[in-house]
Amino acid sequence: MDENSKQKLRDFMKETLEQHSDHQSFSDDESLFSSGRLDSFSMMNLVMFLEEAFSLDFSDFDFDVALVDSVNALEKLLDSKLAF
Amino acid sequence: MRNATGQTAQGVAVKAAQSIGLRRFFTIDQSTQFVAWAQSSLGRLVIGLVAFAAAEPHFGIWAAAIAIIAAIAATANSDWRNPALFSATWATAFIGTATGDNDTLDNIVAVVAKENLGDFPSVLVAISFLLLLAVATGITLQWVRRAPESFLARRPLVSMLALEGLLCVIGSVNLIHGLPRAILWSAIFVLTPYLWFIPYAIVDQRIKSPGPMMLQMGVLRPFWSPSYLSFNKGAAFLRKHLAQTPVDLAITQLKAIKLLLWANVLFAIRDGLGWLFEAQLPIPSVEQAIDGFLTGSPYPRLTVWTALMVSTARFSLQIAIWAHLFVGIARLAGYRLPRGSWRPLESRTLMDYFNRFHYYFKEFLVDFFFIPTFFRMFRGHPHARMFFATFMAAGVGNALWHFVRDIDLVATQGLIPTLDSYASYAFYTLLLAIGVGLSQVRVSMGIKPSATLIGRLYSFFFVWSFVVCMHVFSDGSRNHTLYERLSFMANQFGVF
Repeated sequence: MDENSKQKLRDFMKETLEQHSDHQSFSDDESLFSSGRLDSFSMMNLVMFLEEAFSLDFSDFDFDVALVDSVNALEKLLDSKLAF
Repeated sequence: MRNATGQTAQGVAVKAAQSIGLRRFFTIDQSTQFVAWAQSSLGRLVIGLVAFAAAEPHFGIWAAAIAIIAAIAATANSDWRNPALFSATWATAFIGTATGDNDTLDNIVAVVAKENLGDFPSVLVAISFLLLLAVATGITLQWVRRAPESFLARRPLVSMLALEGLLCVIGSVNLIHGLPRAILWSAIFVLTPYLWFIPYAIVDQRIKSPGPMMLQMGVLRPFWSPSYLSFNKGAAFLRKHLAQTPVDLAITQLKAIKLLLWANVLFAIRDGLGWLFEAQLPIPSVEQAIDGFLTGSPYPRLTVWTALMVSTARFSLQIAIWAHLFVGIARLAGYRLPRGSWRPLESRTLMDYFNRFHYYFKEFLVDFFFIPTFFRMFRGHPHARMFFATFMAAGVGNALWHFVRDIDLVATQGLIPTLDSYASYAFYTLLLAIGVGLSQVRVSMGIKPSATLIGRLYSFFFVWSFVVCMHVFSDGSRNHTLYERLSFMANQFGVF
């Protein structure tokens, strides 16, 4: 994944956190969903964002929160799925 | 004795005492002195005693004692954690069932009375079915680990609902009477409180490294939340939130104390509202207000609106009180769980309200109704997809959960009368689902509430007007029909 795409992910997560009045910074490997900073509905918005921005098809695999829990996890997911 | 930072317990206790004050109390979990003190033996003892004092009025002596001792024991030594959780959870379940401290025994006694079985050994039957449930659940979870692609593993909620539904249908038709019927309904009453916990436990068996079986069984309707709803999701969620260092644990336990004490403050406010409005002022309950309207002697509209607002506030406080008590004790056991109710008055949208007001109920609905629908339906239509998935969660899931919670009515009143008296709550879930669904779609379209003062005030009045109006249909009693409640509300708006 190139740096531009990763920055898009960071920007989306930052905007989502700010919608929850969470203005604290976060690192790329920080768990945002399992830590409770973001909720399940934010996760679904993220899923729609990934489908739209990266043409990712979630029907291909079993969904698990760990797949989208951090920017690094998202990078890993996109690298593995978009490589095919 | 020295703690992790090398300070003596006596020294840090003195420093902590010197610095205490009401303002400081709110930030004790951020104070290095208090965090150090909380790691000492004295600190842990005081934390345990304060937690017991805060929990006892709500749990009762024996349940509070088991909960606090188990929570403290679980954090004292990592080897003790799972045995402590397991022992406390099942001791609470068995003692509560045997002594009638939970609904199970009451429900069995009601069916026994309906079937005229005077000498039915209700306690023995309840305890036997609870033992059977524990063993069967343990075996099932082991089996699911070996068969992760089975239908039960992939669709745990559907499987559990099918089982409950089948048992209820058999218990409701005119095929069995007397002793067999009482035994069947006893089994249903024992199973029902666990109905929503087991799917979480099954889901946890499919992850890469599920926790030990003793932990899985130890948090199946755990001792800190003797509710029908899981306030900690499954064991995997708990493991993710376990405090990892002595400092983390001390901070988590100080947050636990704050939350438990805050629950008692809210409890006093809730009772204070009741005392002020219903005992000192001539404000009726919502039930009385509806009765007054139906008998032709209605209360003034302003009085009724006040009654609705007070009742909504007291209900909201009750949800927050229980959530804080449950999460507080889980935190005492070392789990850094998010709060179950978080500043609902600051809600900006209906979706935001649902999330803030009852976080774990919303999470349950999202996990088992929203997400499955979201990944299967209307994939090419983002707004319809979001609306329908939200509708399935806030509407269908919400209605199902509450219907199952009151399953004893099917046994004592029959299926049709129970469905009939449920129409009002079903109507509430329909309106809530539409409201929350539209709120979600608006947010997903990028329509955000204004951040100005006027915008915030508008959000507050919009959200809480909706909640207060809906309270007429959601108050939980089944004494009035949907038509009577609709007529009552129409009258409130001057329609007739």
